[in-house]
Amino acid sequence: MDVPGESLASGGKALKLQQNSTRAGLMVGVAVALGGCWTAPVADVQPKGEARLIQHAIPVVAVKHDATVQSIDVDQGVIVLNFTDGVTATVKPGPRVKNFSTIRAGDKAKATVAQELSVYVLIDGQVPGVDGRPEPIRTDAKVLEIEPAYRLLTLQYPNREVEVLKVGLDAKLSEMEAGDSVVIKTTELLALRVKKH
Amino acid sequence: MAVLLPVAGRCQISPGQANQIREGINDRIEALTVLGGDYVLGGGSFRSTGNGPGDLTVDVSKFGGAGEFSDTRQLGDLNIAWRPRLQGNMGTVDWKNEFKVPLLEGDVSHTKAFGIQFGGGARFWFTHEFSVAPTIMGMYGHTTNEYTANGVFMVANLAKARQVGLVDWSTDTWTVRPSMNFQYEYTVWGRTIITLSSDATYYHTGSLKSSNAGINVGGDSEVWSNKFDIDIPLGRMLFGHELRTGGYLERTGLYGNIRSGLNTDYMNEVHGRLVLDYLNQLWLTQWIGLGGSYYWGSNFTGYSFGIDFYLVF
Repeated sequence: MDVPGESLASGGKALKLQQNSTRAGLMVGVAVALGGCWTAPVADVQPKGEARLIQHAIPVVAVKHDATVQSIDVDQGVIVLNFTDGVTATVKPGPRVKNFSTIRAGDKAKATVAQELSVYVLIDGQVPGVDGRPEPIRTDAKVLEIEPAYRLLTLQYPNREVEVLKVGLDAKLSEMEAGDSVVIKTTELLALRVKKH
Repeated sequence: MAVLLPVAGRCQISPGQANQIREGINDRIEALTVLGGDYVLGGGSFRSTGNGPGDLTVDVSKFGGAGEFSDTRQLGDLNIAWRPRLQGNMGTVDWKNEFKVPLLEGDVSHTKAFGIQFGGGARFWFTHEFSVAPTIMGMYGHTTNEYTANGVFMVANLAKARQVGLVDWSTDTWTVRPSMNFQYEYTVWGRTIITLSSDATYYHTGSLKSSNAGINVGGDSEVWSNKFDIDIPLGRMLFGHELRTGGYLERTGLYGNIRSGLNTDYMNEVHGRLVLDYLNQLWLTQWIGLGGSYYWGSNFTGYSFGIDFYLVF
């Protein structure tokens, strides 16, 4: 490796660079032809198939920046949080929340919460109930994108806010698509870091 | 230098021969700055495979990466998405040559280079799979040489060699680095990601200051890397994170000064990894695990092994 290498003649070098640019151009053409155009993801679409429940109570951990403490009941051990996505959650703190007694109504905080997602295909906002008759479902968000390789589910809330959640290995991502409706149940407060009293 | 010095005669180094050697040194400086400072070329321990005039070992350590940040945005009304991109790296090269040719038997040339680079650009998605990332970076390099003369010839000529800038020199360099990356990423078998990428990079290097007027780096290099990467989920959890495996095969063609400076026209790398998926679970992290690479070129082999840590923005 220490021997000075043979030099490339300038003509040969130009030829090599030209070959490189030709190959790169070919790659662009083939890739665009194979893939079709990029389109922005949209959640406001009707998913395919009959109205149905795809999966119930998929556990996720969500980090809510700029959550607001609406109220707190230290005796009952219950806190009501407003998230910027428009969801309001009444939750009990988990064992790792040590600062519960110092939290006050009106605090701005970063909240880490455990949630359960139930994903539906709805038609006219309804899904067949146990007796087969259509029942209305109050949903919190819609599926915007699905990334199965890393198990990422992107939700869009009615206020257009977007959140990416990691789901477990048993989540039926292959059955979900953009436009599916999501009901979110917040089950536990895992951590709360107060930003401003 | 080892090849050029023997023809210099037994008495002294002629000006013509000194110029010839200096050209080799200048190419080497640019090559080492790129090798250490650039994030595209891998780090590791390299060893010559016997073509050279001595035992050559090269250790490259580097820390850096590249990635897109911020939300994906649509480019005007076009069906093209884009995200801004940042790239950065810092690294060192330790190049040690223990000569085994008659004239320089026992001499040791030790060259150390430090490089740091930063820059950015944007990635444009023309389809959900195919994207192009034009970027530009700036790089600073500092390279020093220490020569230990043990052979009779260099003991007699060390002062002269030092005076004309052949040994015991130092230099600071700047490099501008425009690049274009083409990438095609697609998912197969449900959750396995295959990425094909091609990276064409140009380097122009100049001198900032040198310890000797004879050391005047100014040159151009081109690198063309083509990579096949596979990222496979294993469907098993460990410490609350999914295990993933994969790796890549990369061939990097070298042109210009980097080719003559390293005396190889290509560098191949095969890489394997076993990692834990932290994407969307730990800030700026896609995975953490173990990885290893084996490198080979026309006259060297190398390897690296260590923590495989992939950052995302």
